[in-house]
Amino acid sequence: MKISIKYSWIIILLLSVFACKKPTENIKLIVDTDILKYTAFIRVTDAATGNVPANAQITISGNAANNVYELSGKKNFNLVQGVVTIGLGPALTPTLANPVNCTVTITANGYVTTTKTITFTTDKSQQVINIQIAKTGSTTPPIIIPEPIVYPTPVALTFIGTCTNRRDFEIRPSVYILFRETGSGLPYQYLGYMDKGEITTTALGQGKTYDFQTTFNGEDHAVTQKIVNASYSLTLNMGNACNNF
Amino acid sequence: MPYCSRFIKYMAVCIQAYMFNKFLFLISLLILVISGSLLAQSNAPDPILKQKSVKLNLGSQGIGSEFTYGVATKVALRLGLNVIPVSVNNAFDFADFNSTSKASAKFTNIHLLADYTPFTATPAFRLVAGVAYFARASGNMQVQPKDNYSYGDIVLTPEQVGYLDLDINWKGIAPYAGIGLFRVIPAHRFNVNVDLGTYYLKQPDVKIIGTGLLKGNDKQEGQLHENVKDYRWLPVVQLNFSYKL
Repeated sequence: MKISIKYSWIIILLLSVFACKKPTENIKLIVDTDILKYTAFIRVTDAATGNVPANAQITISGNAANNVYELSGKKNFNLVQGVVTIGLGPALTPTLANPVNCTVTITANGYVTTTKTITFTTDKSQQVINIQIAKTGSTTPPIIIPEPIVYPTPVALTFIGTCTNRRDFEIRPSVYILFRETGSGLPYQYLGYMDKGEITTTALGQGKTYDFQTTFNGEDHAVTQKIVNASYSLTLNMGNACNNF
Repeated sequence: MPYCSRFIKYMAVCIQAYMFNKFLFLISLLILVISGSLLAQSNAPDPILKQKSVKLNLGSQGIGSEFTYGVATKVALRLGLNVIPVSVNNAFDFADFNSTSKASAKFTNIHLLADYTPFTATPAFRLVAGVAYFARASGNMQVQPKDNYSYGDIVLTPEQVGYLDLDINWKGIAPYAGIGLFRVIPAHRFNVNVDLGTYYLKQPDVKIIGTGLLKGNDKQEGQLHENVKDYRWLPVVQLNFSYKL
């Protein structure tokens, strides 16, 4: 039985006579960003210092290059603070028999051009690729970047992506997260992959304050939090990434 | 992807706008009917004991039928069934997004009501109370994209984007109270009488199902429940066409 929309919700109309609240009050549209199912977080550093090389650029080549995108779904690959996340579009999925390869080339003024092959396999949805580039003529051996300290108490972080101009809209970001202790002046370290807005880590110490950062669509998104509890819900302003939805 | 949140807001506006207009129309109709018929029926104090009638009813509960039996000189019992099966496809347009949408309301109740005629001299006025079992009592909104959707440079199919399904369910037992106008059993063969009253439904159960990129919306079930938990009064405005057996 199909009749006019005027009658389809008459029951709700009648029910709403004595109810004050709108059914949709404070209801938001929540959107996930895990469109790229196989991703690689690429981090480029100066081999001798561990710092971010200035003006480094990245290009993607190989048979699969047409199906490789930046995490925002765009074909613009820009290193921001030396990092970028790439991934396979939905049209290309690796299989056991056929893993997918692409080649990453890093160029920067004064540095040796460096290439690296990235392999996407079925058993590895996320991977971190550290690429150290050496200055031309440098003989200094690459430094070893220390692993973050492991603390006994895990901390669960929930990130909610918000948009300044769209209050009825939320994003559950699936991104790689960097962190550093606030005011330390140290380079950001890799914290982990945040799946649909959630990450649990043992790299955060109680009583310490940290800066958290992610890169999406060529932009940095950052938030600061002091850790004194076992879990936090943090809001991340998604900036121009909001235009993607 | 602003279409979903617009859809939700659109529904809320529809609900509020039609609520007032619909009742105004029905009340006006009732006043006309009452003014023409009340006097004609008020002078015949026939007892209703052991009298029977069948009714076809039409109103805010949809369409239904009842069997009425006089169990005392002033009391009759009514056993009946009402059904509202309404659904509308593609009832909504979204300016910047092609989507298909569906709204539906499905209510089916079996009820047992007692009609008490307090004033022998005015059998056209009755007090009505009873109970109903709502085997179905649900409202549903579903929306999904019709065409492909762009995420950056990636084209996603409607299946990859997913759909959003909001369900509200009042299934269960509900008491009823109201008044009746005109005889519950016709003095002669046929009459038309009116019910004005309300059911008090159980607190609704709510469910939000999102698929694809909209999967995260299920966590808003608590908020939706909070918003609609007071939507329990289901007013009844109904015309009954009675035939005396």
